[in-house]
Amino acid sequence: MRNDLLWVEKYRPKKIEDIIGNEEAKATFIEWLKSKRKTKKAVLLYGSPGVGKTALVNAASKEFGFTIIEMNASDTRSEKAVNAVAKPATSYLALDTFTAESKGNLLFLDEVDGITGNEDRGGVSAIIDIVEKAMVPVIMAANDPDVDKLRPLKKVCLLIRFHQIRLPLIITLLQKICLLEHVKSDFEALEHIAQNSKGDVRSAINDLQSLSGENHVLTLQDTMTLAPRNKDISMDETLRGFFSAKSVEEASSLLFRSSVDYDEFIMSISDNLPRRYANPDELAVAYDYVSQADLFRGRIGTEYWHLLKYFFNDLSKAASVAPESYKPFEFISPPIRIITLFWTKGKRTMLNGICGKIGGQCHVSISKAKHEFVPFIKIILQKQKSSALISWLVLTPEEVDFLVKMNRF
Amino acid sequence: MTVNEESLMWVEKYRPKNLNEVVDLHDIVESLKAFMRNPKTMPHLMFAGIPGTGKTTLALCIAHELFGSNWKNFTLELNASDERGIDTVRERVKDFSRYSRAGFGDIPFALIILDECDQMTGPAQTALRRIMETGSRTSRFILICNQSSKIIEPIQSRCAIFRFSRLDKQAMKDQLQCIAKKEKVKLLPEAAERIVDFSEGDLRHAINALQTASAYKEGGEVDEKTVSLVIGEASPMQVQKMIRKALFGDFIEARKTMYEIMGSFGFSGTEIIRQVQREIFKMSDLTPEQKADLSNVIGEYDYRLTQGANSDIQLSALLAQFGKFGKALGETY
Repeated sequence: MRNDLLWVEKYRPKKIEDIIGNEEAKATFIEWLKSKRKTKKAVLLYGSPGVGKTALVNAASKEFGFTIIEMNASDTRSEKAVNAVAKPATSYLALDTFTAESKGNLLFLDEVDGITGNEDRGGVSAIIDIVEKAMVPVIMAANDPDVDKLRPLKKVCLLIRFHQIRLPLIITLLQKICLLEHVKSDFEALEHIAQNSKGDVRSAINDLQSLSGENHVLTLQDTMTLAPRNKDISMDETLRGFFSAKSVEEASSLLFRSSVDYDEFIMSISDNLPRRYANPDELAVAYDYVSQADLFRGRIGTEYWHLLKYFFNDLSKAASVAPESYKPFEFISPPIRIITLFWTKGKRTMLNGICGKIGGQCHVSISKAKHEFVPFIKIILQKQKSSALISWLVLTPEEVDFLVKMNRF
Repeated sequence: MTVNEESLMWVEKYRPKNLNEVVDLHDIVESLKAFMRNPKTMPHLMFAGIPGTGKTTLALCIAHELFGSNWKNFTLELNASDERGIDTVRERVKDFSRYSRAGFGDIPFALIILDECDQMTGPAQTALRRIMETGSRTSRFILICNQSSKIIEPIQSRCAIFRFSRLDKQAMKDQLQCIAKKEKVKLLPEAAERIVDFSEGDLRHAINALQTASAYKEGGEVDEKTVSLVIGEASPMQVQKMIRKALFGDFIEARKTMYEIMGSFGFSGTEIIRQVQREIFKMSDLTPEQKADLSNVIGEYDYRLTQGANSDIQLSALLAQFGKFGKALGETY
């Protein structure tokens, strides 16, 4: 075998049994592929990258003698393109179907969640159309099956889920490769690579190859340079980096790198700011910046995203009002707003119901009833338990009880 | 004064039914009476003014005068702040004008009363304008709002606009005494004075306060003490609590209270800020200068609230400003 091959290519599974993990998914898929009268003409294999979806399709079709016709995200999948390639491939049974070697064609659409709204206009519906008319098996693969536009596909497909590959399986595979490639490796080093891959076999093999280098020795020390594969910076990490930033530049470069949701993030900042600045003066200054950031958020709306830099800029100023006073602190993570709104939902609904009744009788809106009638009616009901008001407003006993016991605004 | 015996809230019970019963507001009433003499000449109307000055009452009076006792069949009452979106308004107006097209007697139109129009967004108002145009043959609109400046000009130009100013104090006191007499409650003059002062020209508020005060003592008299008690009990406590906590530097608790108010009562940021403004002026331990300074700060954030994306953020920022203000106060003592 040539030595300049990428190991992921070199050790790509040739047979179904070479694919590690996901035994159940494999069995389901093979059963579907082998069955003569399929309940569903298409399958959708889904799971995170590097768990063997494409490998399984390749290996299985080889083993069962199908010819793969493949399209993936790099091909544009507008309706026209789908029809041009896929239709002829699926509409006719191949001539050599009945010979021993080939069972015919098999259409494989990889990365179907990569179909975009604009360029691939009509792509999804064209795929559904093909699945419905197809005389050959259609196989699709996706990383994220919850993408909205794929929802129609789910109805016509058999869904097969792929899980992340378990650690020991990856380590065993890495050991096997090390043996074949004559790499001397520490077990801990392989374990670290496997851990870092988060169940992605492809990335584990890539890391192994790049780290073992020329001299074919791999120690735990060598693996320390591994960067976490997941480049997204989580909310917690962003908050930590944000609050410990020593300058506006540091904070803003972090914000540009992070992929947290802006609206969620500004709420988290707002929740945690008082923990960061104990001094009221500093807190007021910092909040003023957050408030200005929110003004920019208002201007951005849903279309002026080029203003985002000003939003980040103001937020970053809030992070570095007093860099010298920074001490690490525990973050409040679920937003206070959401928690409060959750716990008080019952009260709110009850009050709005009551105010709707008042509004109907007294010609005012719910909001007016809340402000101008509820405080008085509450006192009247407290003073006169069996006031005729109750029946006039058609209040239920629970509503009366609620009003009487309710906190003042 | 006719009395609506079925109603138990006095504001409803003593709400004037026809234009002759209305106290104060002479100019407006006279113009409206002119329309009533020849209803076909009545244009769309817009009533603008502060709360509790009789806008809804006059609109309902017109309905009574036009259609008599079955006014409800020919009148659609909508509240812009309750109806979700202009589509609901459009649908209901459309349905209504379809079924009540015939009008009543000589009156060739049905009446649509749309309250709190200034709560409608610009696009919704544009849609409303269209509805007014297409429906004007079969229906007349009475639009009610606090500020006519928040209504887009094309709508304003389609309406006869009436401005309602603060009610006259003496007229309010007379009205309260009149109601008290009918309810067989003795209302002491000082008490009436206190209620009227507290209500700031809002008659609805005044009548509600009177009814509540009379509930304190069965069949007794309403004195100034009882009125003060009612005013205290009915005024916002949570908002006070929030302001004090913020001023005394307990920001985290203040912000928690803010969320409790939003959560339990479902108040919007604007509503809370309006109450904060009101409460600040009631605080006796601040000098007029300090109140003015705080008011400036509140004004700034009130404006930002309308421009920003998230009212929680702006309110939190306001509370933080209070903390700074409170700290400065503490240092000067």
